[in-house]
Amino acid sequence: MSTPVIEVSALRKEYRSAFGRPPIVAIDGIDFTVGAGELFGLLGPNGAGKTTTVKILLGLTRATTGTATVHGLAVSDPESRRRVGYLPEGHKIPNYLTARQALSIFGRMSDMSKRDIDARTLELLERVRLSQWIDVRVKKFSKGMTQRLGLACALVHRPDVLLLDEPTDGVDPVGRREIRDLLIDEARTNGTTVLLNSHLLSEIELTCDKVAMLRKGKVAAAGTIEELTRQTAKYKMVASVVDDALLAAFRESGAGVERVNGHLELSVNDVEHLNVLVDRLRANGGMLTELAPLRSTLEDVFVDLIKAPDMPLTPSPSPRERGEGGQRPGEGPDVQP
Amino acid sequence: MKVLIANIEDVMREAAARWTLLAYFFLSSLFIIIFAFAVNLDIVEGSLAGAKLFGNDIHASGISIDKLVMGVESGLSGGLFLFWPFIAIFATAHLVPRMMEKGTVDLYLSRPVGRVKLLLSRYVAGLLLAGVNIAYLIGAMWLIVVWKTHVAHPRFLFAGAIILFFVAALLACAFLIGVITSSTAVSIMTTYVVFILGFPLVTHNRLAAVVSKDWQAGIIHAFYWIIPKSSELMGAVVAFVSEKALPHELAAAATPAPFLSTAAFAVGCLALASWLFQRKEF
Repeated sequence: MSTPVIEVSALRKEYRSAFGRPPIVAIDGIDFTVGAGELFGLLGPNGAGKTTTVKILLGLTRATTGTATVHGLAVSDPESRRRVGYLPEGHKIPNYLTARQALSIFGRMSDMSKRDIDARTLELLERVRLSQWIDVRVKKFSKGMTQRLGLACALVHRPDVLLLDEPTDGVDPVGRREIRDLLIDEARTNGTTVLLNSHLLSEIELTCDKVAMLRKGKVAAAGTIEELTRQTAKYKMVASVVDDALLAAFRESGAGVERVNGHLELSVNDVEHLNVLVDRLRANGGMLTELAPLRSTLEDVFVDLIKAPDMPLTPSPSPRERGEGGQRPGEGPDVQP
Repeated sequence: MKVLIANIEDVMREAAARWTLLAYFFLSSLFIIIFAFAVNLDIVEGSLAGAKLFGNDIHASGISIDKLVMGVESGLSGGLFLFWPFIAIFATAHLVPRMMEKGTVDLYLSRPVGRVKLLLSRYVAGLLLAGVNIAYLIGAMWLIVVWKTHVAHPRFLFAGAIILFFVAALLACAFLIGVITSSTAVSIMTTYVVFILGFPLVTHNRLAAVVSKDWQAGIIHAFYWIIPKSSELMGAVVAFVSEKALPHELAAAATPAPFLSTAAFAVGCLALASWLFQRKEF
């Protein structure tokens, strides 16, 4: 992995409750690391602890226990934020400012010179398609424009870490795509580390290299998108002459079988089990025309994870870590029902 | 320094956008214009031969012009001390609550700036806004007096500094309440109460004498020593500008104690506000 930029270790956050009630645990001992230039997605349902995690990384909230560092500096040190750009969820850039003034004020607060701010303002507003609105007050901006200006404010001081909380919230599909492209470009071209906090799974899937899924304040699954969505135990089979007797035989072997749009979806225990089914098909006079592993979407994984009953949740190991080609059904939280 | 400049820019732009700045200068200018047109003096060889206020003759002939100027300016200083803190606090008390709004505070605190520095920069910016206006008001009135009487009495200008000092103490209180409650309305109301309470508490010894319990008297004395000395400072402004032998009460007021205890109140409020803001979770 590339040099760690964000490191979170055994982070726990409790909020005190009134009248002697037990504290509310927002984050319950999470660990993750984000390397330089990585696009990292933090996923989870509402109340999972995503925003709290980001706020701890910015020193807006203090962790009860555990550590969080950015560039090796404790998040309590304001210097840790020198190279960090942040776009909060539902941000309110003071609406009496124009786009130019907003960038000027936040640029100065990030220790930029006026000349540098002026040059950067034109470049950034061009990039987020707001250059024609440079001297218009924010109160006249649409939601999408405000969001793009927020992104420009986060980028004004050329940060090498971007923390974004629902950056595409309220943005139209074209704008969403532009923001996505901008983030990918920042990461690929400038080596910016991006931590994207969202519950828009498709956004995360299209943008991020790695993901951590939070559930009830814990990391329920983590890995690359490919690792999380791979279902090597589920295959699509297209074959001719598959009668009900053959399907019954497949089921008898312990496989899950479903007819879907003219093909079969097979849930098997492992590759050997799959080969047994193929042998039976051939022995039955069937002709195999296509056999491919099925991938679930990130949304499938997410929904499965959220619906899963309470159990000790651990980051799902990658197939390599398990020492095999795939994941067995029933292992870990990111499995099919 | 850049943080301070950014905050000053922010505060001034907000004041301009929300008409605060314009209202401030409109009110000041109105006051100045009325003053300029209201006073008509007939001066003969350094003495006042006749005077008109709002077109009506006033019996002031024979009074030295110096004395008249001092009298007018000391009266104005007292009036401004009573009136201007209300306007100044009304125009600046929102600075902390508005900054602490959800979605806004994150934008400020995500910058590489310590929280105390951010809060104090905002305080200085607010004070500058109030200071610019007091300087404009008092400076313009002083010039009008010089133009009409040819008497330049610089002590009147320093009255502005004392008023600003008092506003600084009240603004510190407004910031503390703003940090605690995040409410502009509560900040304004509490600060006004602190300002007004300073007047009756000047008689704290007499008030303490009429209560039946020692602890009640202790509370009255404690309040007197904690909150800004509105009455004494107003007396001190008038005494300072009038430049004459002080009456007994004013002589008692023009001691360093009210200034020091008011300064201690301001420092205490700012220190507490900074500590609370530092600890606050957003």
